[in-house]
Amino acid sequence: MGWNLLFWLAICFPVNIALLASTFYQVLILSDLESDYINPFDASSRINYLVLPEFIAQGALCALCLFTGHWFMFLLTVPVTCYHLMLYVKREHLIDVTEVFRVINAEKKLRIAKLALYLIVLIVTIFRLTLIGVYYLGIEDDEDIGNLWR
Amino acid sequence: MGTENPARPTFPSRPAVTPFSSTGPVAGSEPPSYRPTPAAPPPAATPFSSAGPAAARPGFRPAPPARFNDPSVAPPPRASTPGGPYQQFPAAPFPPTTQQQRGPIMGQASQAPPFPTSLPAQPQMPFVPMGSPPPQSAAPPHLGSNAPPPTFQPTFPGYPNKPPGAEMQPPPMHSNFPPNQGNYGPVPPAAPSPFMSHQGGYAPAPPMAPPVGMQPPASVPPMGAVQALAEDFNALTMQTRPGTMDPLFDPKELPRPLEGDVEPKILVDMYPMNCSPRYLRLTTSAVPSSQSLASRWHLPLGAVVCPLAEPPDGEEVPIVNFAPASVVRCRRCRTYVNPYMTFTEAGRKFRCNVCTLLNDVPSEYYAQLDASGKRVDINQRPELTKGTVEFVAPAEYMVRAPMPPVYFFLIDVSISAVRSGMIEVVANTIKSCLDELPGFPRTQIGFATFDSTIHFYNMKSSLTQPQMLVVSDLDDIFIPLPDDLLVNLSESRSVVETFLDSLPTMFQDNVNLESAFGPALKSAFMVMSQLGGKLLIFQNSLPSLGVGRLRLRGDDSRVYGTDKEHGLRLPEDPFYKQMAAEFSKYQISTNVYAFSDKYTDIASLGTLAKYTAGQVYYYPAFQSAIHGEKLRHELRRDLTRETAWEAVMRIRCAKGVRFTTYHGNFMLRSTDLLALPAVDCDKAFAMQLSLEETLLTTQTMYFQVALLYTASCGERRIRVHTMAVPVVTELADIYRLADTGAIVSLLSRLAIEKSLSQKLEDARTGVQLRIVKALREYRNLYAVQHRLANRMIYPESLKFLMLYGLALCRSTALRGGYGDVPLDERCAAGHIIMTVSIKRLLKLLYPSLIRLDEYLLKASVQADDLKSIERRLPLTGESLDSRGLYIYDDGFRCIIWFGRVISPDIAKNLLGADFAAELSKTTLGEHDNEMSRRLMRVLEKLRNTDRAYYQLSHLVRQGEQPKEGFLLLGNLVEDQMGGNSGYAEWMLQISRQVQQS
Repeated sequence: MGWNLLFWLAICFPVNIALLASTFYQVLILSDLESDYINPFDASSRINYLVLPEFIAQGALCALCLFTGHWFMFLLTVPVTCYHLMLYVKREHLIDVTEVFRVINAEKKLRIAKLALYLIVLIVTIFRLTLIGVYYLGIEDDEDIGNLWR
Repeated sequence: MGTENPARPTFPSRPAVTPFSSTGPVAGSEPPSYRPTPAAPPPAATPFSSAGPAAARPGFRPAPPARFNDPSVAPPPRASTPGGPYQQFPAAPFPPTTQQQRGPIMGQASQAPPFPTSLPAQPQMPFVPMGSPPPQSAAPPHLGSNAPPPTFQPTFPGYPNKPPGAEMQPPPMHSNFPPNQGNYGPVPPAAPSPFMSHQGGYAPAPPMAPPVGMQPPASVPPMGAVQALAEDFNALTMQTRPGTMDPLFDPKELPRPLEGDVEPKILVDMYPMNCSPRYLRLTTSAVPSSQSLASRWHLPLGAVVCPLAEPPDGEEVPIVNFAPASVVRCRRCRTYVNPYMTFTEAGRKFRCNVCTLLNDVPSEYYAQLDASGKRVDINQRPELTKGTVEFVAPAEYMVRAPMPPVYFFLIDVSISAVRSGMIEVVANTIKSCLDELPGFPRTQIGFATFDSTIHFYNMKSSLTQPQMLVVSDLDDIFIPLPDDLLVNLSESRSVVETFLDSLPTMFQDNVNLESAFGPALKSAFMVMSQLGGKLLIFQNSLPSLGVGRLRLRGDDSRVYGTDKEHGLRLPEDPFYKQMAAEFSKYQISTNVYAFSDKYTDIASLGTLAKYTAGQVYYYPAFQSAIHGEKLRHELRRDLTRETAWEAVMRIRCAKGVRFTTYHGNFMLRSTDLLALPAVDCDKAFAMQLSLEETLLTTQTMYFQVALLYTASCGERRIRVHTMAVPVVTELADIYRLADTGAIVSLLSRLAIEKSLSQKLEDARTGVQLRIVKALREYRNLYAVQHRLANRMIYPESLKFLMLYGLALCRSTALRGGYGDVPLDERCAAGHIIMTVSIKRLLKLLYPSLIRLDEYLLKASVQADDLKSIERRLPLTGESLDSRGLYIYDDGFRCIIWFGRVISPDIAKNLLGADFAAELSKTTLGEHDNEMSRRLMRVLEKLRNTDRAYYQLSHLVRQGEQPKEGFLLLGNLVEDQMGGNSGYAEWMLQISRQVQQS
């Protein structure tokens, strides 16, 4: 049972927070760019710096969910992973500084959608974490609840 | 006004005058009379009333009636229909001939014979264009003034001009005439007629005697409202013989833009203080008032800007210096002061025309108002009377000290470059231009050459000979001498000249095949990044070493027609895009000259020019003996034309409208700021606008283009073009004010961009679809009042749109597929379309074809009697007579076509002794006889009309295949050729699709 807690607390939660933060930061930069607070060169280099780490973290999380048998989490994250993979294979994952204003709206929408999804994943994570925490701390004897939320 | 302040008149007027007189030298070059039209109304007035003074002609009058002249001529002189009140109409316009014709046809309607009798008359009166009413007719005020019974119109919306005789016509069922449309024209055999004659077994081959279904003008008030517009349209009967695809109309009657580009004049009359259309043209000179209206205009809505267009001789853009004050601008929307700003409160405040904010007039700029509310100094202030001015920008418009003009040359010296002779031509041309480079004495210049290594040249002024420094480590580029590679031209003049003299011989024995283009580019960037400037790249082979190496692609015909096709037209290596972005960031503009006879991947190299406001020049299979002259002229033009450095451009407009997409060679620095490291008079930029608010409440929309740049002399300047356009509520008005040239320019840029993400086929279909949609919408405007079966109607303003659409689909950039155009040429053509101005584009799409032999053979011609050769012919094979000599000129090259049975005299005189030899090896040179000199004069004249490109002449003889095919016959856009449809067929396709709604 310790592994489960470790999974939620030490891996899932921080990775999720990081993904959320990075996506939020990217959205922020894009809207800054739109309102001309930042030039496109800086904006795209800052975003591009974050893109690959985000893809890797997200993919790793998804794979981990699959291998540890957390099916619900896996199903929640797998569409994004596939999308990331597709972008990467088509070499469209980085923001192209020369064309950034042409794609800015689409990129922003995409990131806001991702933000929403990451938020849902985070809520699920917190929910499970709480339950498991409660289970470990207080009601260790109550086997039923423990099994229910494994 | 202003009387409440007695102190005013004396005190502030002084400062306003002094700065101006102190800047005398600057403004002194201008003629003092800036204001040709003092009657110009205050800008804040409604557009209609401001149009009033310009409307010298009686405004509201139905179209002049029957027009028997050629369709292409301008509307007939107004004087012919005096006064034009309605009642005169039926009587005046009907010439006796009409009556005579009408008689027989009506009498024998069911018989065949009348046809021939009526036919001869028809060709002379094709599309009777819809007697386009004067633009002012939109103005309601005129209604009352000279259209006596305004209510008359709504009563008979469809029959405004119906002649008295028309009532006696038999009902439509057994008439040959379309009874509707208020026909007063003499050519009744409209839609139904040809068809009926067929059914009646009217045998005598109609195609030979085409029952042309040209419609007379139909003058229609579109909406029944009181201020009904006298809107007209052109119509064309589009029918085929039943069961076949043969058109039943005469292709000769289709409209052709034989006059070339015509700039819209309407706005100039309405708003005389607008900038000239050569700087800014809108696709329609009106802004739709609501989003729903805009969505019904299916053509692009936007503008084409050519900020530095060359003014005609004798006209100069006034330069205004506000020093010591800053440039006068609106506080909120940052609009520059312009003729449409109104001054109030005794001249202490001015109201911004764009955002209507009341601003304070800076004390240095104060001037009193006269009785009519105008500033007393208005005649000394060009910025208040002219749509185009240049402001001298003070220090707050600079991020750094204004840069000097910088030219850096990156020259390929591998074996293919040596063999083609390119190096010699380039070196000689640069040398000859050294005196004319702009910006003396600050101009800086530098050179680097490359093959498998990179060679720099130290040209320090203290040296007598340039020193060559070779860098062979391509992975870790460094600059051997950071300071002396880019030198001041006037100081190092002799070293530069020595270098250019020795450059051709230096590498003449070079056998190096490789090209380290990418590393060379990087090193050029390192040299230039301090200052920026212009980088001219002369590339003769495919980059093969180091970063940015490219591979042969594009020879795979299987890719065409698949989803991967567009990839060939995109840069292969992201290196080029990154470099382009870096170049733009450091104010470097790149011009690419490509010369290879093999594949050089213009798609990748062109990216460098695309994002840095550069240009691509492509000389396939360059040979100095043949193409040298072209390169010499174009390089010379590139080096000597007036250039604006480190520029940014922005186009502003009032709230409610926003420019959304931009098309051309530049990089966007922010959502609406175009970064142009170097820009010149040959570049145009297109942009599309969209409405942000559902309904516009203003009546006039203002556009202001501002180009902030460093002039070659080192002064920072702002060039401002201001334009006012009316906001309209009727779709018919938008169509009436449409500008085909600007629409075609935007459409072609959109199509080229589409070809970068989709198949060529899709790009072509896209063009056709937009035209169809637009015409369908237009048709729906009139379909209610008129029976339009089998007729294609289109506004007068768009009569050439269909042909230009066809020409665009058949242009080098979009035509055919794999086998039709080599990939490099296609990409280069695409780059040209993305940069050229409207005029040049239209010439490229529909080149001129002129018959020359008559002029050459004429016994005695005055030296400058070139008028006779200005008659352009339709671009069809039928125009070519095998006894003639023709010249085909698309602005980029001339093709001289020798007919098969041309008189040997001409050939001998023009080509010299070897006139019977194969023409591909012959070049045209001047021979010592009158005929040859005349031809040279003609060519000279053609070249002088547009100096941006040099028209190299190619000679071709009739029947000389395949050369004739791809040089000329394939470019005759009206002929059916291969899989491409001809003009008649294209019109049929469009007309059919329009009617399938």
